[in-house]
Amino acid sequence: MKYALLVYSDQSDWDGISEEEAAERRAESMPRWITLFEEMGKADPDVGGKELVAASEAKVVRVVDGETVITDGPFAETKEQIGGLFLTTLPDLDEAIRIASLVPAAEYGSLEVRPIVER
Amino acid sequence: MTVSLEATFREEWPRAVGILTRVLGDLALAEDAVQDAFATALERWPRDGVPRSPGAWIVATARNGAIDRIRREKTFARKAELLARLEDIPADEDADVSAIPDERLALLFTCCHPALAVDARIALTLREVAGLQTPEIARAFLVTEPTLAQRLVRAKRRLRETGIPFRVPPDHLLPDRVPDVLRVLYLVFNEGYAASAGESLVRHDLCAEAIRLAKLVCVLMPDEPEAFGLLALLLLQDARRDARVGPDGELVLLADQDRRLWDGDSIDEGLRVLRRAEALRRPGPYQLQAAIAAGHAEGAPPGHIAATYAALEQLDPTPIVRLNRAVAVALAGDVEDGLALIDGIEGLDGYPYLPAARADFLRRLGRNEEAAESYREALALTDNAPERRFLERRLREVTG
Repeated sequence: MKYALLVYSDQSDWDGISEEEAAERRAESMPRWITLFEEMGKADPDVGGKELVAASEAKVVRVVDGETVITDGPFAETKEQIGGLFLTTLPDLDEAIRIASLVPAAEYGSLEVRPIVER
Repeated sequence: MTVSLEATFREEWPRAVGILTRVLGDLALAEDAVQDAFATALERWPRDGVPRSPGAWIVATARNGAIDRIRREKTFARKAELLARLEDIPADEDADVSAIPDERLALLFTCCHPALAVDARIALTLREVAGLQTPEIARAFLVTEPTLAQRLVRAKRRLRETGIPFRVPPDHLLPDRVPDVLRVLYLVFNEGYAASAGESLVRHDLCAEAIRLAKLVCVLMPDEPEAFGLLALLLLQDARRDARVGPDGELVLLADQDRRLWDGDSIDEGLRVLRRAEALRRPGPYQLQAAIAAGHAEGAPPGHIAATYAALEQLDPTPIVRLNRAVAVALAGDVEDGLALIDGIEGLDGYPYLPAARADFLRRLGRNEEAAESYREALALTDNAPERRFLERRLREVTG
């Protein structure tokens, strides 16, 4: 099965903190990232993943009556925004949930496990 | 359909669906194949007689049907692979069923997977593992047949689309998954035991199905003490079913029940099963609940039962357990203590048994006005006709 693991977190947590503090936070989560990449590499050597630029930089595009309307994102007033995603092939949902629970954001945000439609 | 044929079908359904799901990798496809085999059986068995080994006959016929179906299919990817795997299933109609790999436990864990909604787990388990027909399940749960059929279709789609595995979970997941399975069986039993709507207080067919499933789980997981604990609990509760409802269909509380109406065989069986569970020396919530039920059956002192509830609360500190402990404490004579315990419970809003129990304590303490208020509160929360009659009678007693 192919799965998208969507990483959600509250990006305002990173607003207005100093460079040192941000570096410290990243260092703190390093051991979890290492475990994640070890386990992911074992489960699916071809896993792909990308981090996204903050949702505040997003443009929202809609076509209304044939006219393209562009607004600034994020478009929904939810606290948590997608900050990145993994695309991976895993044997089953139990394994996808196990891998998702290893992503550091699972502790301070949430992970959405979405099976990918295969035709 | 004759009774024996129906019983055979129920018995053989999970075995055949299990092995076909293992091979085809899809529950819905497996079900179609087994359904066809049963239709053939229904046509031939009354005419030619029931085969020597009904289970092996069904599996072989379902296998052959699936092979035909897949051969005809033009667009089936993995066609060759599936055919090869189907051909590995024993095709001997007279084979001993023990020659067929038993996939019923994998089927049970899959039907009870936590990624399915609880309603879906119950419906799937009754359909696939208990082998009940869709109309029977719909009737038992008081929903229309299309509603239930839809629930099953959605559940099977979710199994396929989200990649819910067909297997017995690995060791590291078992401590979470075994309680999930047992909970589904307990919910089935409770739906039958305390019918939440309608005129009849007990729908015994569901209780009997839950007991049958629990026995199967004990056979499939002979080292799991909580499976035996659950079976013991169900047998001991079921033993009281006739005493639990009065002549007019009203609820009779445990303390007021006529013990001559208890089913002695069922109690003996429950006590035997409980001893088997306890011999495995790994206590758990179902074993303790069964021990409480055994205490009632054997006439243990009320103080002993209250103490077992305290032990259960340690393991399973849920509001329902706290409520039951409060009732046990009050039954042991400490009504004031029971009332204090009940007033400390949080998270049971909308549960009619809490105000009903509270009303009972207040009545016994002679605080009639407060009791009446609690009886009214309980009445506002239940639609079950016998329970309503019981509460209304008590309300008249304290206001009269």
